[in-house]
Amino acid sequence: MGSLYRSEEMAACQLFLQAEAAYASISELGELGLVQFKDMNPDLNSFQRKFVNEVRRCEEMERKLRFLEKEIARDQIPMPDPKEIPNSPEPREMILLETTFEKLEKEMNEVNVNATTLKKNFLDLTELKHILTNAQTFFDEAVLDQSQISEDSGHLLNDADGLQGLLQTLRLGFVAGVVLRERIPTFERLLWRSCRGNVFLRQKEIDTPLEDPNTGEEVMKSVFVIFFQGEQLKAKVKKICEGFRATLYQCPETANERREMAAGIQTRIEDLNTVLSQSLDHRHRVLVSIADDMKAWHMKVRKIKAVYHVLNMFNVDVTQKYLIGECWCAERHRSRIETALRTGTERSGSSVPSILNRMETTEHPPTYNCTNKFTKVFQSIVDSYGVAGYREVNPAPFTIVTFPFLFSLMFGDSGHGVLMFMAALAMVVMETKLMQTKSDNEIWNIFFGGRYIILLMGGFSIYAGLMYNDIFSKSFNIFGSGWYPHPQRYSEHTIDHHKDLTLDPTNNSDYRGHPYPFGMDPVWQMSLNKITWLNSFKMKISIIFGVSQMFFGVILSLQNSRYFRNSVNIFCEFLPQMLFLSCIFGYLIVLILYKWIAINATMSACAPSLLIDLINMFLLNYPLEPCSSAEFYDGQKSFQSFLLLLALVCVPWLLIAKPIILKRQHSKKQVQLLNNNDEFEGRKSTEINLDGETQTSKQKDGRKDSHTGHEEEEEFSFGEAFVHQCIHTIEYCLGCISHTASYLRLWALSLAHAELSEVLWNMVFRVALKMSGYTGLIAIFILFTPWAVLTIAILLLMEGLSAFLHTLRLHWVEFQSKFYKGDGYLFDPFRFDKIIEVSADD
Amino acid sequence: MNSLNFNIDFGYLEGLVRGFKSGIVKQADYLNLMQCETLDDLKLHLQSTDYGNFLSNEPSPLQVSIIDDKIREKLVIEFEHMRTQSVVPLSTFLDYITYGYMIDNIVLLITGTLHQHTISELIPKCHPLGSFEQMEALSIASTLLELYNAVLVDTPLAPYFIDCISEQDIDELNIEIIRNTLYRAYLEDFYKFCQTLGSTTADYMSEVLAFEADRRAITITINSFGTELTKDDRATLFPRCGKLFPEGHSALVRADDYEHVRAVAEFYSEYRILFEESGNNPTEKTLEDKFFEHEVMLMKKAFLEQFHFGIFYAYVKLKEQENRNIVWIAECVAQRHQTRIDGYIPIF
Repeated sequence: MGSLYRSEEMAACQLFLQAEAAYASISELGELGLVQFKDMNPDLNSFQRKFVNEVRRCEEMERKLRFLEKEIARDQIPMPDPKEIPNSPEPREMILLETTFEKLEKEMNEVNVNATTLKKNFLDLTELKHILTNAQTFFDEAVLDQSQISEDSGHLLNDADGLQGLLQTLRLGFVAGVVLRERIPTFERLLWRSCRGNVFLRQKEIDTPLEDPNTGEEVMKSVFVIFFQGEQLKAKVKKICEGFRATLYQCPETANERREMAAGIQTRIEDLNTVLSQSLDHRHRVLVSIADDMKAWHMKVRKIKAVYHVLNMFNVDVTQKYLIGECWCAERHRSRIETALRTGTERSGSSVPSILNRMETTEHPPTYNCTNKFTKVFQSIVDSYGVAGYREVNPAPFTIVTFPFLFSLMFGDSGHGVLMFMAALAMVVMETKLMQTKSDNEIWNIFFGGRYIILLMGGFSIYAGLMYNDIFSKSFNIFGSGWYPHPQRYSEHTIDHHKDLTLDPTNNSDYRGHPYPFGMDPVWQMSLNKITWLNSFKMKISIIFGVSQMFFGVILSLQNSRYFRNSVNIFCEFLPQMLFLSCIFGYLIVLILYKWIAINATMSACAPSLLIDLINMFLLNYPLEPCSSAEFYDGQKSFQSFLLLLALVCVPWLLIAKPIILKRQHSKKQVQLLNNNDEFEGRKSTEINLDGETQTSKQKDGRKDSHTGHEEEEEFSFGEAFVHQCIHTIEYCLGCISHTASYLRLWALSLAHAELSEVLWNMVFRVALKMSGYTGLIAIFILFTPWAVLTIAILLLMEGLSAFLHTLRLHWVEFQSKFYKGDGYLFDPFRFDKIIEVSADD
Repeated sequence: MNSLNFNIDFGYLEGLVRGFKSGIVKQADYLNLMQCETLDDLKLHLQSTDYGNFLSNEPSPLQVSIIDDKIREKLVIEFEHMRTQSVVPLSTFLDYITYGYMIDNIVLLITGTLHQHTISELIPKCHPLGSFEQMEALSIASTLLELYNAVLVDTPLAPYFIDCISEQDIDELNIEIIRNTLYRAYLEDFYKFCQTLGSTTADYMSEVLAFEADRRAITITINSFGTELTKDDRATLFPRCGKLFPEGHSALVRADDYEHVRAVAEFYSEYRILFEESGNNPTEKTLEDKFFEHEVMLMKKAFLEQFHFGIFYAYVKLKEQENRNIVWIAECVAQRHQTRIDGYIPIF
């Protein structure tokens, strides 16, 4: 069991794999998913690496798979997900897969080529059929036109012989063909222009769309016949037709021949149809047979590729027998990793075991927090602000409690809490079922991912609502209010007719003598000063919880300093910070509690005003008038001055102490280093023959440092340290004040939420409740819907979201700024399931 | 069109083109590409750039022409997207960019048919940005008048063509004159159009088009040495929107050899440098390369200012340069000609 409090202890390991066993070992580790590999050759280009050929083969396989998948999708055959994820295949299987895909692709290509030629034939025949059926009308028109022309010319010539000759010369040639419908207008225009109006085009649209054999798309086409005269024009017309990609067909001149030809073509089309459907059937059968395996194949290839990608990060030793890599893994998983390596070695049949060697490194290890489905969402809230440094205190476990709690302070309404709780509970209960139906809906995925946090937020809101005694803005009087109008002093008549009657807290006659046992007294629901009282109460509550959380944050910073044995931080940061916070805001909390306990109704006229008191404390000014700002305990003035002074002393302490100490430590170290260097120099002169060796080792170290990117010892500069500390001090001191004020949002949002729900009740639903008789019944029926819809849309979703964001801010800024550095980087293990998931999303 | 309202109509596309621009292959990538030993290496490395998996569906072995086509296809897709999303006047501006390619296509087709190639083998060689509907019917015309009357009159290029209509048959020299006359008219028209747009677009585009015009003028002059083109004819081919107009033009018309041209360029500081740094030795860059370098420099300038159309022009030109670069490297890799592999022109 790992704890969430600090990230896992990581070990930097060196991995020696025997070349034959490397593949199997890595694929075992990929199934395990607990190791993060480091790239040993970051300077190498992707195509200069050792296993680039294997990667390329995988890509080739993927290309073929994609091709096949496209074909399957074109036939609309479903590709089911495999029941279980296939194990990573052996290297042998890769060749097998390759040949399978090769064969399939070849077969598919052949089938496609055949189908295309068949379809081309089919298209030609259908087009010809359309021409033949339409030609008759064209020719009829043409003959009509022709006779008109001859009539005209007949008039002109007025000579019988001439007319006869003309008719013969007027023997028109024609071409018939089919062209894309959208090209007709330009086609016609161009024909007319380039032949100077000497051609005659008749066209008709083909009603049924035709299939383009190359792309498989359906296109609309038109039949046309062009009449012209003379061979030159014929050549020109043909050229134009070619330019517009019109297909020309031989069309017989007489109607009889056309009819015969049409009949012949009809039979040929029918023959072709049977052949075509058979070949399509064959294609379909082939595709169906592979559709089931498609997804599994994809996964397998992905896995192979991933393994080779990892192997590309390894170094090869001089003898070419070992692959050497470096990796990070959790200390406590090492035995599992070793087992996996052993199985890998066994699987590959190799006799030499792989070696996992722990090594020392100056590099910062990655941060690895073991999470489960419940803690995951909280950890991700923290991580999205910044990943914790290695072994730094992780705020996530505290967030599990404080996050829903602070949320509930703002969202305090039991009714809304119950709705939220139920919704989240439904998601949690049907978790496995919902997870299987992978949804692409982003909004739904956000809600579903946060189901556990919503569950907790709902639960805590129920509690907070009970404390506030707010259920859909109404109060429940469960235990009986502590207040009642004393029957001796108020008759029912007085109560009914006097609106400004007040229950007197100084007089015990209106008070039962014991408070309402749990939460807010329901009597406030009907009092006029409800808001005033609630504001004061909630404000104080907010300050108390807020300052407590900040205290807690500062204490966590102590935990960090203790863990990393940084005594400078304890004495120069934690102590002054703690003092500063407690002198001002700790004292304020004490005053709040004191006021709640010690001041009662009889003293209410001169009850101390804490805000004014705090201001006076800073101004060192204690006026006697009004009485609310006067001293309320002995020695208040001197004690407060002392606190203020203490807080003020903390500022320079926080500012100067740490940089000075750091500088001292640094110069001490320098002196030591200098002494060491002198010794080293002396030794060097005696052992000159070893010089070459030391240099090479130095170079190696240098290279290592440069590619890991972490320097062992940072250059120390006092100025920089001082400026840094200066910023830190200002941020902390001002932060304490502004953050305390910032926690008042707890009150502000809870007020807004309560008021909004009250308004909604009064303006919408209460209208119906006020009506009597059957109208009231109907009104309730009608008005319930808008009330319910608005409650869910505005109060639950919008207000919930806003309260969530404010809580997020309180955690990220107000809480985590007290101790959290968040300068780490995430542990990103090599895992097959993640790789496959990503590929599924593509 | 001013800075205040620019984003209403063109903000999206400007943002888009700036995004596209950041996908242009960087110097570091070129260094990596140059180390490739086979085209498959090249493909592997291009995957890590903005080109992504654009070659992943191509079976190996790869050919340079496939890479070229795919790169061009990507540019065309991006350009078409911007063209369909744009409104006037940006759409007109983008159309103007395509006219240049149209001219090239027309000339290519005429030359092709002159050499008895069929249209179907010529069409794939045309630049897809400059394709138009009547393009494939170009071969029917045997004289320029016919070409104009039958085919080109419907295209936007028609007004440019009026100057070169004659009853002459088409021959080799003719074609070059047609190309340059068309280009002259096109550049001048584009220049005028940009002036009407005003503000930054006009400022920037006038600089760019002036350079384009001057480059053409200088290239025409140099290429016309030793041909039967008369000096008067030469003068009519110079686009009159550059910095060389009018004094430089009259000087170029009188030029008889390369040295004369160089002497003319002496008077213009930006061109003087180009001439000084270029040479014909293998180690030196050619004048053409220097012009390309200067063009890249100009195009990069476009992205320093906001709210103007110049970036669309610049993006297309930079992409074209990138295309040339990658194809150059790919050719060198394919032909194992490593010594000249660094002859590309770095962009960023």
